[in-house]
Amino acid sequence: MNDAFAQLAMLGSSLVLITSFLLLWRRGTPAHVSALAIQSIALGATAGLVGYFADKHELYLVAVLLIALKGVGIPVLLHRMARRLGPARHVPPYVNTATSLLAGALLVLLAYVVMRPLVEASPLPTRAGMPLAMGVVFVSLFVIVSRRHALAQVIGFLMLENGIALLAVLGTYGIPLIVEIGVFLDAMMGFLVMQIVVYHIHQTFQSLDVEQLNRLRR
Amino acid sequence: MTDLLFAVMVGGYAAGAAAAGVWGQERGGHTASAAGAIVGAIAGLLLGLSGSAGGAAHHWAALDVAAVAGGVVLRLDVLAAFFLVLIGVVAAPAVLYGAGYVAGYAGRYSLRGLGVALNLFLLATSLVPLAGNVMTFLLAWEGMSLASYFLVLTDHEDPETVRAGTWYLGMTQVGLAFLLGAFLFLGAAAPSLDFADLSAAAAELDPAARGLVFVLAVLGFGSKAGLVPLHVWLPRAHPAAPSHVSALMSGVMITLGIYGLLRVGFDVLGGGPAWWGALLIGLGAASALVGVLYALMEDDIKRLLAYSTVENAGLITLGVGAGFLFQALDLPRAAALAVAAALYHALNHAAFKGLLFLGAGSILHATGTRNMNRYGGLIRRMPWTAPCMLLGTVAIAGLPPLNGFMSEWLLFQALLPGVAVASPVVAVLMVLALGVLALTAGLAAAAFAKAFGISFLALPRSDAAAAAHEASVTMRAGMVALAAACVLLAAGALPALAAAGAVASTLVGLAPHPPTFALWLSFQTPAGLARMSPPAVIAGLAVGLGLVWLLVRAVSSRRPVRLAATWGCGRVGQSPRMEYTATAFAEPLRRVFSAIYRPTEDVTVDHHPESRYFVQAIAYRARLLPWFEHYLYEPVLGRVRRWGRRTLLLQSGSIHAYLAYVVGALVLLLGALLVSGAP
Amino acid sequence: MTAASGHVLAAAQALLCLAVAPGLIGLIRWLKARMQNRRGSPVWQPYLDLRKLLAKETVVSVNASWLFRLAPYVVFTSTAAVTFLLPVLAVPLPLDPVGDLLVVVYLLLLGTFFLALAGLDPGSAFGGMGASREMTVAALAEPSIAVAMFALALGAGSTNLGEIVARAMARPADAVSPGYLLAFTALFIVTLAETGRLPVDNPATHLELTMIHEAMVLEYSGRYLALIEWAAALKLLVFFTLLANLFVPWGVATTLGPGALLLAAVTYVAKLAVLAAAVAVFETRVAKLRLFRVPELLSVSFVLALLAITASFLSR
Repeated sequence: MNDAFAQLAMLGSSLVLITSFLLLWRRGTPAHVSALAIQSIALGATAGLVGYFADKHELYLVAVLLIALKGVGIPVLLHRMARRLGPARHVPPYVNTATSLLAGALLVLLAYVVMRPLVEASPLPTRAGMPLAMGVVFVSLFVIVSRRHALAQVIGFLMLENGIALLAVLGTYGIPLIVEIGVFLDAMMGFLVMQIVVYHIHQTFQSLDVEQLNRLRR
Repeated sequence: MTDLLFAVMVGGYAAGAAAAGVWGQERGGHTASAAGAIVGAIAGLLLGLSGSAGGAAHHWAALDVAAVAGGVVLRLDVLAAFFLVLIGVVAAPAVLYGAGYVAGYAGRYSLRGLGVALNLFLLATSLVPLAGNVMTFLLAWEGMSLASYFLVLTDHEDPETVRAGTWYLGMTQVGLAFLLGAFLFLGAAAPSLDFADLSAAAAELDPAARGLVFVLAVLGFGSKAGLVPLHVWLPRAHPAAPSHVSALMSGVMITLGIYGLLRVGFDVLGGGPAWWGALLIGLGAASALVGVLYALMEDDIKRLLAYSTVENAGLITLGVGAGFLFQALDLPRAAALAVAAALYHALNHAAFKGLLFLGAGSILHATGTRNMNRYGGLIRRMPWTAPCMLLGTVAIAGLPPLNGFMSEWLLFQALLPGVAVASPVVAVLMVLALGVLALTAGLAAAAFAKAFGISFLALPRSDAAAAAHEASVTMRAGMVALAAACVLLAAGALPALAAAGAVASTLVGLAPHPPTFALWLSFQTPAGLARMSPPAVIAGLAVGLGLVWLLVRAVSSRRPVRLAATWGCGRVGQSPRMEYTATAFAEPLRRVFSAIYRPTEDVTVDHHPESRYFVQAIAYRARLLPWFEHYLYEPVLGRVRRWGRRTLLLQSGSIHAYLAYVVGALVLLLGALLVSGAP
Repeated sequence: MTAASGHVLAAAQALLCLAVAPGLIGLIRWLKARMQNRRGSPVWQPYLDLRKLLAKETVVSVNASWLFRLAPYVVFTSTAAVTFLLPVLAVPLPLDPVGDLLVVVYLLLLGTFFLALAGLDPGSAFGGMGASREMTVAALAEPSIAVAMFALALGAGSTNLGEIVARAMARPADAVSPGYLLAFTALFIVTLAETGRLPVDNPATHLELTMIHEAMVLEYSGRYLALIEWAAALKLLVFFTLLANLFVPWGVATTLGPGALLLAAVTYVAKLAVLAAAVAVFETRVAKLRLFRVPELLSVSFVLALLAITASFLSR
């Protein structure tokens, strides 16, 4: 029972991690948005799974919220936004794809090294997934740093949140519901603010290349 | 018996040097010098074989020679014996080859100097592993370095060679300075400079001092072994030397750097904390990758081989590093396997790299150029060199069933247990090392597919290649001997590994001959991870090849093979200009790794004067960013030059000023003594 | 299992592989044709092709040397030798002590190496291009194969294929563990790259500047081509067998009874058919990648392999 739980939780966290690599690998906003959608659904499923096995029924609500909001709602908004902004010309990232992927893998190994003490201290069957969750956080940060496309950065930020949520679910079986909802609203606000900023960037520069922001200094 | 072999070895080299010195310019003297060297090399090989049988270390001492520093002490233990064998395996064929090869130098350069230097080089090289104290070691080490410097300078009319020699001399002296530092540190705490005394003293040193000694030793020996970033002299000096000397430098001298690491790290210091191993693994992995990446891009066949030496030195260091690491983690059997794999790879590398340099020498001799883009079609003109080189490339590319594969297999197996270590940092390090090892193996296969394919196959790309001739009899004999050594080392992987395992076990402090190395048919790693049988793989492939040939003959059409022109989309006539060149072959990988190479490409197209649609000539030049020269050596050398210029102020030219310096220094010194209160 | 029956089994498995391999290629072609609304040639067409090629005259370029004639034999022998080491029907494998998965991987690389040399030999630009690209892909695929395989080997405590299968059969649930799934995906990508399938190379194309494998073997004809085609089919089968039996060892026999062996043969063929269908679907859905995006695909595979080790082994 516990064995299957551990196995499934690991599977879920691996899926969440893999989808963050999709962000490094694939090109174009639609691919990135669907990566976010898949990731959020996988995260929701993992949360639901933990809720079922660990008897934490408020996690079901978290799962539903995650899937509805980040798995469906935000992706739909993002798709619409991408359509409205028109087919952006390809903005190459600062770091090329193959190197990004390798850097991502190294970051996951780093996450594994830094999380080792926590994993060893944790009694929970889900502990083995924690390094992967930390890996999601690192990889998302790397995306935010290395991409020039504003929407890719927004998606990176949303994935960063997913990583933190996964860490919370695996490490402590979820933080209290009220905090969780607070974080959600926070993220929602953040997303809305970023959406406005992205529109402004696009209006000012006719491009989503954040490199253009350099021009504001003069 | 041991004494006799030792006497014959030293006598052979000495007689060879003397013969070259006295009658060096005549044909007879030249032959006698080579004969002396071969006798010496074979005696050294036998001495090594007799020494590796184990037993108490043999000991020679001549205390009066340089009594101040402990005299000359020579000691034959299993580690020394292993390296004597390694030297002998390459030295005898290389000298035999050289006897024919240097005929081309007659009349242009002094064969006398070459003969003397070669014999002295081999003598000093053989004494390095035998040295029992610091004095002897440094004498032999410097003898080896200086003799090889003169050998590099053989073609001294070429300014490129002189520059290469200067780089080599500079790097080797910097390395020596580090070694002197390491030995002085150790010696200060020891009653004498004998290695045994140093070892006892090292046990008393505090960890920081031991760490410092180790780092100094890594810098000193690493510069000889060609570890990144101290490898820059290799691709310069090895191509400049005559090819049989390149074979000796690449196959033998490089590995003596590894010998030094083992002697000082394990024998004298007795192993150390885990970061020593991690440092070596990092250096080894970096050298392996840098070496193979630059080998891939090289169009000069000897520079390609030199870079590949950097790669292989990296792989050997990787194994040695894993040995240090495992010993620090208290896994002596895994440590023994790792060191044994490294030693076995060193021996294999000596054989195939020696072979490849000899083969490259034959091509150079036949065509007069080192640029592979001017070769092609040599397989038809050189029926002996081609199969030997093919064998060497399969071996160095790490492909079964030859010896390169056997030792790479072992290196993989040696690193694998590291992933199971509880420490996360070690486990991650090992996973990355395994990835680097696999990538290196793949890239090496690509690099040598290029080296052999572009040089030997297709149509000749220049008149020189079209008119190439096969090497002389002694040259062929040298190559065939080393090719046979490669096959024997593969088929005899188990006894060879047993010898390496015995050395490794004594180094890491296990009882010699652990039972796992004694299995005859199938070798098994101590971690119990894997089994593989080299003789069975070789036999299986050989039998299979014959069987397939017979079967295909039986079932296929009896019509004879028809010869026809290469198919070419309807164009008439084929010219070598349509062929892929060495540069073109490596182009995809240059693109893939462009972040590392930073190539600056420069294409000039000459159009026909009548029409822009007809191209007359295209000049393509690609230059890679020389990272180490650009970011390390040039700034350092620039700073040294600036300091040098500043010290010119002191250099007034007036003798009175110099005397004043001396008096001033004396007064200052006395004053300092007075102040410090010393008697 | 006695020594004699063991060796009979090894030989039988190898013969089975040799016999099945062309059919596998035929099956993929047929499935692809069906999915693209074509009728397609029958599944057994590759056998007819082989017979035809063996019966035909062999034409060799005047510029080619002995290496060109040697290479097909080396390619075929090294690939066929691998089949003796594979866990096809039953474990424990009698020839397990002879070679492990590293031997398998490097024997295949030996074939690639000789094929690349043979591509350079006749001196045509196509051959050189194919050889250069093939070696590039092979070199970059090497780390992901090794690391993906090590993810399995470390779990099993051995790099010998028979042992890995035996260990995996003892824990059948591992087949759905994330480490296995990641390693499987990594190896699947490598399989596509190493055997010249889409999106890396197009097996159905000739005389396009995009081809890799076909460019290399362009000069071959008659019995040499037969050997090379057969070896290529065999290589695909080798990778499929590794994917099928290392990761999903269900059905592999542990005794040599006729019932167990029959069941093993049936499940083996069924697993191959599933993989063939997967490749056919994949090849129908995706377009060929630009050559210089292939390294990205291979680094994805390497990343997956690294994650596989992390998930299955490091985070225990």
